[in-house]
Amino acid sequence: MSEKKHMGMKAKTRLSNTVIYVILTIMSIVWLFPFFCIVCESFRVESTYQVGYVIPKQWGLDNYINLFTKTDFPIWFRNTFIIALFVAVFQTIIVLCMSYTLSRLRFKMRKGLMNVMLILGMFPGFLSMIVLYKVLNGMGLTGPNSIPGLILVYVGGSGMGYYVSKGYFDTIPRSLDEAARVDGATRLQVLTKVMLPLCKPIVIYTILTAFMGPWGDFMFAKYIAHASSVGMTVAVGLQSMIGTPSSLAANYTMFCAGGVVVAVPITILFMSLQKYYVEGVTGGAVKG
Amino acid sequence: MARVKLTNVKKIYDKNVVAVHDFNLDIADKEFVVFVGPSGCGKSTTLRMIAGLEEISDGTVEIDGVVVNDLQPKDRNIAMVFQNYALYPHLSVFENMAFPLRLQKMPQEEIYKRVTEAAEVLGITEYLNRKPRALSGGQRQRVAIGRAMVRDSKVFLMDEPLSNLDAKLRNQMRAEIILLRKKIDTTFVYVTHDQTEAMTLGDRIVIMKDGYIQQVGTPDEVFDMPANLFVAEFIGAPKMNTFSTRLVKENGEYYVEPFGSKIKVTGLKGKELAEKKIETRDIILGVRPEHIVLADKKGEDSIACTIQVNEMMGSELHLHVLTEDGTPIIVRVPTVNLTHEQREQMVNGHKIFITFEGKVMHFFDPETTENLL
Repeated sequence: MSEKKHMGMKAKTRLSNTVIYVILTIMSIVWLFPFFCIVCESFRVESTYQVGYVIPKQWGLDNYINLFTKTDFPIWFRNTFIIALFVAVFQTIIVLCMSYTLSRLRFKMRKGLMNVMLILGMFPGFLSMIVLYKVLNGMGLTGPNSIPGLILVYVGGSGMGYYVSKGYFDTIPRSLDEAARVDGATRLQVLTKVMLPLCKPIVIYTILTAFMGPWGDFMFAKYIAHASSVGMTVAVGLQSMIGTPSSLAANYTMFCAGGVVVAVPITILFMSLQKYYVEGVTGGAVKG
Repeated sequence: MARVKLTNVKKIYDKNVVAVHDFNLDIADKEFVVFVGPSGCGKSTTLRMIAGLEEISDGTVEIDGVVVNDLQPKDRNIAMVFQNYALYPHLSVFENMAFPLRLQKMPQEEIYKRVTEAAEVLGITEYLNRKPRALSGGQRQRVAIGRAMVRDSKVFLMDEPLSNLDAKLRNQMRAEIILLRKKIDTTFVYVTHDQTEAMTLGDRIVIMKDGYIQQVGTPDEVFDMPANLFVAEFIGAPKMNTFSTRLVKENGEYYVEPFGSKIKVTGLKGKELAEKKIETRDIILGVRPEHIVLADKKGEDSIACTIQVNEMMGSELHLHVLTEDGTPIIVRVPTVNLTHEQREQMVNGHKIFITFEGKVMHFFDPETTENLL
C-alpha cells in the first residue's frame, strides 16, 4: 500500500519535472535563437545584407576584419571600455558608501532622503537629457569629448541605486560595526575591513552592473556624442553603421559582427563572476 | 586602569522617551561594577554610553579624568564584549583577536605574542586557525573576551556576555571571568539581568529599574539592606516573600502580625526600629525564603499553610505554600536538618506551620516602597 503510494509520488515528480524541463527548453530556444542568428550573420560572407535563411552558405571572417580595419569600431570599443572602467570604479565606490551610510548612520531626513531618491528613480532618466546636454555642452564635454561627459552622466546619479546593497548591508549585525569601532576602527575602516569582506557578493554585483551599463546605453551616448565618430560608444557607433537603408544593405553583417565582439568582454566577466553574481542578487534576503 | 565617572548622565530618545534618568556613579580604578536590572531598565544603554556607541543626551562621562562625551569609541581606549560575541565571521580566531592590534599598527611579533598569550590563558590555542563559525558558543565567547583582553585598555565593558550560553557553561564561564579579572586587573563594567552573576562577580552592584538607579552597594549590602521593595525582590533567588501587614510597638518591643500571627522582631532589626523611633504602622513585610523556618505546632507566632508544590533541589527543598487566605509563600528548607518523618510530610497538600526568624525581616513603606531602616 505504502509502496504503491510512494511510486505514485515518484511518477508525479517525474511528470512535473518533465513538464518544467519542456517549458524551460522552449523558453531558452526562444531566448537564444536571436543570438544564434546574429552569430551566424556575423560569419556570413556571401551577402552583406539580410537573407531569408539562418545558416550562412559561405563562412568567413571578412566581417570582423572589415569591422576593425575599415570602420571606427576600435575607437568606439576603446571609448566604451574606458567609460565602463571609470563608471565601474566610481559608481561602485559611491553606491557602497551610500548604502553603508543609509544602512548604518542615523541622521535627520534619512528617511526623507531615501523616499526622495525612490521617487526620483521612478522618472525615466532621459527626462533630464536636454538639461544635461546643455550643461555638458557648456563645459565642452560633448561631441568628440563625450567620454568624460558620459562618465559624469553615468556616475552622477549612481548613488540612487543603493537599494540592493543597502538591503544586504542591513542583514549584517550592527554589533559587528560596534565591535570594530570599539576595537579602534574608523567608520571607513569598518566599511573596508568588516563590511565589504562580508558583502563580497554584493560588491561584485555592483561592479558588474556598473561595468555593464555603458555597453548597453544608447540614448545618452547618442545625444552627447551626436555626429562625432571619435566620441561614440559601441552602441552609437554600430547604429550609425546601419543608420540609412543603403548603409544597412552594405554593413548589416558587419553590424552583427560588432554585436558579437561587444558581447565578448561582458560574457567573460559574467562567466568568471557568475557564482558571486547570483549570490549577490539573492543573497540580500537570507544571510548566506 | 582607570576611574570612570558618570555625572547626571541622561539618555533621551527622539520621541522624548527617557531611557536613563540622571545617572550618577563613580567607578574606582580596578573596580568591578555590575549593572543589573530587568530588560528595558537602561543598563545596556548606560554601558553603551560609556563605550561611545550611544550619544549622551545630557551629563558627562569621564574616563581617567577626561570627559569623553564627544570622543569616538576608538578614541576612548575601552574594550567591549558583546552578548552575541560579534566576532568577524570572515577572519580566523587569530585574526579576530589581532584585529584591534592591527588597527593600532602594532609590530607583527608583538601581535603574535599578545594573541598567543591571551589564547593560552583562555584555552583556545588549538582553535586559532579556525573561523568563528566552527566554534561552539563558549569558545566564541572566549575569543570575544580574548579580543578585548589583548588590548591593554583602560576599561573593560561586558554587555551580558554569558546570556547566550547554556546554564552549565554559564556557571563555568562566570568562574573564569572571576579568575580573568584577577589576571587583567583593570576597571570592569559588566551588564547582566541575572542577579546571580551580579552577586558573584561585582565588587559593587548597581540595581536599575525604568532608567533610575535603585541602589548601589556591595553584594552584601544589597542583599542584607535592600533600599526598597524592588531591590529586595530582585536580589536573591527564589525571590523574597512580601506581605502587607502591621508593625506593632508594644512595651518597647516590635511585633509583626502577618496572617493573624504575632511574631517578635529580634536582634539588630528590633534595635534599629527603636533607634528610628518607628511607631505602630502599616508596612510591607519582606522575608526571604531561607529565613522562614518550620514550626512544630500551631502557636501565636506560627502561620498555617498548605504545600502546593515541592521542588527537590538536592541540598534543600523549595516549598511553595499557600496560607489560609490564599497568599503564596516560598520556603527554603535545608534537607540536612529534616528528620525522615518530616521529610515524608513535605508532600503536596500536606499542612505545615511556619514562622519567621525575627532578626532577618525587612520593613517597607507601603506607599513609597522604601526600606524603613
